[in-house]
Formats: sequence, C-alpha cells, structure tokens
Amino acid sequence: MEENTFEPDLVHAIFKLVWSSRALERQMIEGTDALDCEVGAGTSKKNRPTSANGNAVKLSCELLRNFVIEAVQRAATIAEAEGVSKIEATHLERVLPQLLLDF
Amino acid sequence: MEREEEDSVSELLRDRFRVSTISIAEAEAKRNDMEISGPVMTCIADLAFKFTEQLAKDLELFAQHAGRKTANMEDVILSAHRNEHLAALLRSFSNDLKAREPQSERKRKKSSKKEDQATTSVVHIPDS
Repeated sequence: MEENTFEPDLVHAIFKLVWSSRALERQMIEGTDALDCEVGAGTSKKNRPTSANGNAVKLSCELLRNFVIEAVQRAATIAEAEGVSKIEATHLERVLPQLLLDF
Repeated sequence: MEREEEDSVSELLRDRFRVSTISIAEAEAKRNDMEISGPVMTCIADLAFKFTEQLAKDLELFAQHAGRKTANMEDVILSAHRNEHLAALLRSFSNDLKAREPQSERKRKKSSKKEDQATTSVVHIPDS
C-alpha cells in the first residue's frame, strides 16, 4: 500500500499550473503597466509564482492519498452495510457530504 | 493559442492524475475485498483533482501570509488544521520526512528552485 501513492512530480506540476495562472491573473489586475514591460526583474520579483519545497509536495501527496483512501473506505462501509460487494455511485453519494467536511 | 496550450497541459495533468487515483482506489478497494465501479473512481479522481487545485490556492495564501514565496510542510499541515486526526497524521509523516533526509534537503531545494524558474519563464514568455 505504501508504494501506491501520487507522484510528487505530478502534484507539483498541478500546483505550478495553478500558481502560474494566478500570478498571471495578478499581473492582469495590476494593469497594462505590468503587461507592457518585459518580464524584467521588478515585475517578475513581485509577481513571481509561489513555489513549494520538495517535502511539502510529498506531504501534499500523502494528504491526497488519504483523501482517496477515505473516500473508498467510507463508501465500502456503506456498500457492506447494504450487503453488496461492489461500490456504486449511490454509496459514494451517501458519504460525500461528511467526506468533504472532513477535508 | 496560449490558452489552448495551457488547457492541453491541464488536460494531460488531469488524465495522469486520474490514472494514479484509480490505481490507489482500486488497491484500496481490493484490500477491503470490494469491487469498485468505474464511474465512482472517475468521480473520486475529479474530486481529488479539484481538492488539489484548492490546496494549491490555500498553500499560496498561507505562504504569502507568512511572508514567504515558497510553501513548506507547515503550510500543508495548516491546510488540514480543521481535522485534528488528519493534522496529526500529516505531522507525523512530516517528521518522518525530516528525519529521513536532513542533509540532502538543501540540495533538493536548490534544484527545485531552478526548475521553478525555468517553468515560470516558459509560462511568461508567450504573455509579453
């Protein structure tokens, strides 16, 4: 079970995509001023996207892994209570509100 | 054009993310002696992807609030602070990570920083 986790590179890539698009948005809001000049030292320093260190990304992977595992396990409990051996959408629906509150 | 490129990158990431989620979900269902239907796994994958995007926004805000440009493990733990069990679990995992490689951390930080800068310049060039 330990080897089955998200790849840190993948999660990091998703983070970077979100951060860089938000940095672009910030630049837009700041006005045409920032758009006119090249990605020079001044603007890039101010609007540089957030980054993450390696361990933080690994820890995020663990958090996401727990999210998926909790979703499956809670749905499995409901399915078991109903006496079926296949997890269906209705089982997930039952556990979804509490799951989203817990994460 | 730039939008399209961004969308295709995000599609690709979403698909890769979906594959990993499905393998985790399937393994977990197997451990519970359960089968799991395809739509449920896709649903969980999409939920987890949205969760990741939200997590990215949270981490950015927490890091900014601390006056940093780099998100660290404390920010990740903070994002789970509403759930005590989850926060405790993450804290113990973070202690494991710290204990495992305290000396190589500096090296990795440097290389990841370089990588970041490379990607940001790639993202910014089409914009100007």
